[in-house]
Amino acid sequence: MSDLDISRRDFLSTAATTTGALVVGFWVPSRAEAQIIHPEGAAWAVEPGMDEVNAWVVVSPDETVTVRIAQTELGQGVWTSNAMIVADELQCDWSKVRPQYASANRDGREMAPAWTLKAPGNGAQDPNGGGEPEFGDRNRRGVTGIPDTLYRRMRTNAAASVKDGRYYLQLAGAEARERLLLAAAKTWGVPVEQVTSKNSVITHGPTGRTTTYGKVASLAAHTPHPNPENIRIKPPSEWTLMGTEQKNLDVPIKVTGKAVYGIDINLPGMKWAAIKSCPVYGGTVKSYDFERIRKEPGVISAVAFPIPNPALIRGRTFGGGVAVIADSWYQAKTAVEKMPIAWDMPPKNAARNTANIRAELLTSLDQPGKVGVNTGDCDAAFSRAAKIVEATYTVPYLPRARMEPGNATVLVGDSRVDVWLGDQSPQETRYSASQITGIPESNVYIHLCHLGGGYGRNGNGPQAEQAIYIANQNRGTPIHLLWTREEDFINTTYRSIGVARLKAALDADGWPVAMEVRTATDAEAPGTTAAFDVAARYFAPNYRFSYHSARIHVPVGTRRGVGAPAQHFYRESFMDELAHAAGKDPYLYRRELVARTNLPYKADIIKALDMAAEMSGWGKPLPKGWARAIGFEERGAETGSHATLSAMVHTVSISKDGKVRLERVDVAHDEGFGLVNPLSVKKQIEGQIVWFYNDVMYQECNVEDGHVVENNFDRFPLSRIHEDPPEINIRFFKSGHWLDGMGHDRATSIQSAICDAVFQITGKRYRDLPLRNHDLTWA
Amino acid sequence: MAIDLTVNGVRHSVDVSPDTPLLWVVRDTLKLTGTKFSCGIAQCGACTLHVDGRPVRSCSLPVSAAAGKTVTTIEGLSTDGSHPVQAAWVELDVPQCGYCQSGMIMSVVALLKRHPKPTDADIDAEVTNACRCSTYHRIRQAIHLAAAKVTAAGGKI
Repeated sequence: MSDLDISRRDFLSTAATTTGALVVGFWVPSRAEAQIIHPEGAAWAVEPGMDEVNAWVVVSPDETVTVRIAQTELGQGVWTSNAMIVADELQCDWSKVRPQYASANRDGREMAPAWTLKAPGNGAQDPNGGGEPEFGDRNRRGVTGIPDTLYRRMRTNAAASVKDGRYYLQLAGAEARERLLLAAAKTWGVPVEQVTSKNSVITHGPTGRTTTYGKVASLAAHTPHPNPENIRIKPPSEWTLMGTEQKNLDVPIKVTGKAVYGIDINLPGMKWAAIKSCPVYGGTVKSYDFERIRKEPGVISAVAFPIPNPALIRGRTFGGGVAVIADSWYQAKTAVEKMPIAWDMPPKNAARNTANIRAELLTSLDQPGKVGVNTGDCDAAFSRAAKIVEATYTVPYLPRARMEPGNATVLVGDSRVDVWLGDQSPQETRYSASQITGIPESNVYIHLCHLGGGYGRNGNGPQAEQAIYIANQNRGTPIHLLWTREEDFINTTYRSIGVARLKAALDADGWPVAMEVRTATDAEAPGTTAAFDVAARYFAPNYRFSYHSARIHVPVGTRRGVGAPAQHFYRESFMDELAHAAGKDPYLYRRELVARTNLPYKADIIKALDMAAEMSGWGKPLPKGWARAIGFEERGAETGSHATLSAMVHTVSISKDGKVRLERVDVAHDEGFGLVNPLSVKKQIEGQIVWFYNDVMYQECNVEDGHVVENNFDRFPLSRIHEDPPEINIRFFKSGHWLDGMGHDRATSIQSAICDAVFQITGKRYRDLPLRNHDLTWA
Repeated sequence: MAIDLTVNGVRHSVDVSPDTPLLWVVRDTLKLTGTKFSCGIAQCGACTLHVDGRPVRSCSLPVSAAAGKTVTTIEGLSTDGSHPVQAAWVELDVPQCGYCQSGMIMSVVALLKRHPKPTDADIDAEVTNACRCSTYHRIRQAIHLAAAKVTAAGGKI
């Protein structure tokens, strides 16, 4: 038996266990594809053995419905919610739905069907429409926008999978359903108007005859839709699956250890790579002594790699390094740690530390920045203020620190590249592979794996680029690169360190007549204008917002919420301080200042504040050492487009020896016209409560001699179960717009709320995070 | 040097350096990839499995310490997800990214062996695994649900 036969047998037997009738025998994989083993739990694209109805839907004779998913599952539930959107329109049997990643290679070769190019309806405030997706830049490798390629938005970011993808996923399900009905009508020789379907069963009304999707799927595949421009999508009032709580489809494989993450890839003949990269960004390898480790067990070779080309990773500059390749990863890691390496470090970068970075940002606040908003006459208003309140806040560098360390498996052949990884941006990775190897992008295949957490990574790190480089030096051998946790901290992008100075002029009654906001971050940091950009969320007739920056060498990127979490911390903390200065209730103070704005969704914001306050028992007495604080968090409050609005009340206790406990969180949350999967939404809220608790209490990365100091979970602690609040109450309210997303900046209010609770209980006002650096005791 | 150990009921003789962490023997040598690597310093618990029924952080335990012993990984808990802890996890839809959940489930199984009806304080004290998605709220509910399932099934876990 040849190698090809062996691997084909492996392929067929394993694929059959996961995908039912997907492989029916007449399809012969190419040699390269035949070498790929598909373990149970793998979810990457596999070309099906039967014709598809459309690019999203394949129905097998056994009624299995394969739905292609172009977003990466990283815990946000997209694997399930995207499938629900398609399945609701398809009206198929949900228990037969099997999601599978869409093919990134195919997405790069084919253009989208014309009927997906336009969103139906009249924008974000039309309940019957497809919302107001951000078509924007249609570059396939772009960070924003919806390209015209087959799967439209083959990218996972900006909490936009449902917001931008719902309309075309609904259309895809509807188009497939109508063609299945046409096929049944054709088989029976009856008008299609007499044919309906439910749960994958097609019924001819007048005669009561039935058939199934599986029986007519192959005919449907060859039955074009006569007028796809007329396909309508269901409004929420007609949803049957969407809007119901559905358990996530990948949970069964995640509780048995079968889910395949990038780290789990094992290929025949595969070797492992462990790396050491220059701890100071911009540094390179001066020399290394492979002879010292040549005889270590399992060691094969060493490959020095240059600074990954910044043009491939959104302009970010990491360090060069050395990889050791060995039979097993632990052998490679042990050897690389023993190998002497000398570095060339840029002296300017090596002179950086947290103190001089922060000082530079604070200095920048006094220099002219970019003016984001300037309405009214701030200077005049400040000159006649009854009282001026000013506060300066700081937040640290923060990595995403997902639990799965960065990794990628790459096989570079003579004319083809295969990459296995969890990837939020596979088209960027395909481009990187073609640039590094010289092999055309059309011959680059990405086998998408589940991600062990995302939180905003979206292709920011160079793990794929490093692995492609190393594998290109070892053509023909699959190389699996895996970072240690410490390397993961070096090779990640950070949410920028930030500072902000907020200043308000209050009138005699304590209401702001002017507000000035100045923020500063790394010049390359994304999202610097969020939440202060178009309008102050709280009314001040004279408002000026400017943003300032410094050039720092630490690579910055997107982290859950991008710019919003820090901005929400500044804004909501300052509101608490203003309310205190005015001697007013912080809930009613916010309420009044929102009511005075002309924000399009101010009624929803007020509803959220009222509901959260009411849920929490706002104003009712609490034991000594306890406090409540309120805050509101929003995406898209200012433009009348998509928005996600919520308010939360956090009830906090602090023991006299300074131990903080989040006792209870009451959440009033916008559900727009409808949530696709309310269960996933609740899970996102629950998770982000502790996520931001972690941020406010513990997390920071400092810089010393140019490198990041906290580089593992001992010095960079993660919250544990004892810090989860015993009580989380979530209540949804309907609003008149579609949501803007759930994966981001929910529960950011915890940051200001805990700081305000500390102030209420201990009398101490801290304005720099995290709180672990501060004395929280009281007498 | 060959080291003998029993993993999920199967006897293995592995030829690795004795200081290799048990995690890498399980993942690389035996190809049982359900147990995860995350921190490598016994902090986060993603690598938790059982040695002679006790939970250990296998990233920091040399395989030599498991010689002659019985190792259970997530794959050995049940073949079909029917273990009461797994069933409770499914019922309450606990995982998000899922990466920590193998280790989390193994820690919880060990907790329930010691405390068939754990209090919240028992859970706080003994479940020290980290979940970056912070699925703790559902984990706590699922632990109580699993305990009820175990009790209903006669108490054996």
